[in-house]
Amino acid sequence: MHIDWFVFFCQIVNFLLLLFLLKKFLYGRIIGAMDAREAKITATFVDADKARESARESAEQYEKRLRDLDAQVEAAMNRAREDAEAHRKELMDKAREEVEMLQALWVETLKSERDAFLAELRQLAGTQIYSITRRVLKDLADVELEQRIVEILMERIQTMDEEERGKFRDSLTEGGTITVQSAFDIPAEERKKLDDVIRRYINGDIQVVFEKSDNVMTGYELKTDGHKIAWSIKEYLDSLEEKFYHALHEEAQEKR
Amino acid sequence: MEIVAIDQISPDQVILFAWGFVTINATIAYTWLIMGLLVIGSIAITGNLSSERTMSRWQNLLEVIVGTIRSEVGDIAKEGVDTYFPFIATLFLFILFSNLFTFIPGYVAPTSSLTTTSALAVVVFFAVPIYGISKNGILHYLKEYIQPTFIFFPFHVMGEFSRTLALAVRLFGNIMSHEKVIAILLAVTPLFFPVVMQALGLLIGLIQAYIFAILAMVYIASATQTHEETEHNPKKETEPVKI
Repeated sequence: MHIDWFVFFCQIVNFLLLLFLLKKFLYGRIIGAMDAREAKITATFVDADKARESARESAEQYEKRLRDLDAQVEAAMNRAREDAEAHRKELMDKAREEVEMLQALWVETLKSERDAFLAELRQLAGTQIYSITRRVLKDLADVELEQRIVEILMERIQTMDEEERGKFRDSLTEGGTITVQSAFDIPAEERKKLDDVIRRYINGDIQVVFEKSDNVMTGYELKTDGHKIAWSIKEYLDSLEEKFYHALHEEAQEKR
Repeated sequence: MEIVAIDQISPDQVILFAWGFVTINATIAYTWLIMGLLVIGSIAITGNLSSERTMSRWQNLLEVIVGTIRSEVGDIAKEGVDTYFPFIATLFLFILFSNLFTFIPGYVAPTSSLTTTSALAVVVFFAVPIYGISKNGILHYLKEYIQPTFIFFPFHVMGEFSRTLALAVRLFGNIMSHEKVIAILLAVTPLFFPVVMQALGLLIGLIQAYIFAILAMVYIASATQTHEETEHNPKKETEPVKI
């Protein structure tokens, strides 16, 4: 076991030379490449992080925008709903108004029709009742209706209470005229009878004038300047008209 | 083919060329061979390095080797890794490849020569104070020799020498004895058994390279870090160990 000193120093030099060469050709290059790769990977990760961050931000932004849009849509829908509701209400009001107007018009028309009908009915009923009554009276009593009417008139004059009769007398001036209006011509015989009754019960010193008038309808009117007594089928007709009117009115109410 | 005869203990004794005091023996020749392989291989592989994500297998292999050594050095050195790394890595790679090629017939590991291992140990012996002084200054470095008291100075000095001797002899003894064992086994049982021993030799070669490099690093680290550690890590209470 000996050490060759030349070889010993040679080996030291060899080692140092190897150290230098490897440092130059191996470690520096490899470590450089590794560091470069590491830096690249780090940069890639940093980029990825950045990209992820920006993606997250974008996603948040879009989500926010989506939420805003949803809110806007909801608001618009609510507004539209409210508008539609208001419009509906307006239309309903308008329709109701129109309906009411139409109803009023209809009621008016109905009323006028009813009035017209009632007038016609009154006329017709009056005529019919008159003819019926006349026929009835004629059939039953075998008396002319006019005669009967005159009789009734005479009867009324006779049964008139004193107060009323007084009023009548007061309205008559001396030598005045009392007018008997009737819807028909009173026969001469009846005229005479009536004249007698008037003179007897009211005043003898008057002049009795007979007139035919359509206004009286079936009946009579006994008129002085200030007072009159009347009997006419018109009263009955008025009563009939009133009842008829009520009946119609009630019917209209029910229909409404 | 036996280059080193069974009775020759070292490849130093195989003189290839001699001129005056200049003698080129098998040790130097095989050292140059290893050096040549390492340098040429490095140049060939690192000629077209890639810093992309894909790379050649050779580059990958080198990166694994270099990266592993670097992390080992880093584990011990803690800081200034790249200062010590080339030195330790060169020691490791040179010893490793010297030892690994022993399975090639006719090859004699330069590390089976006490001259080579002594040279490497002496390099480490000088590297320790050089790194220590360059790191902490000469005063700090010398102060370590009288820690904890000046009485320890001779022990420190003896330690320096003895560990250098140990480095040299450990490596030499392992490799040389292994080669001798193989040679003897070839003579006794030429079939099969020497192959197993060769395989074992690869493992021994790797372990010895690792031990040499790691010990060198530990010595350097102790020279550069001892003082800092005592400053930064005051004595801790240690728990008594029950035996």
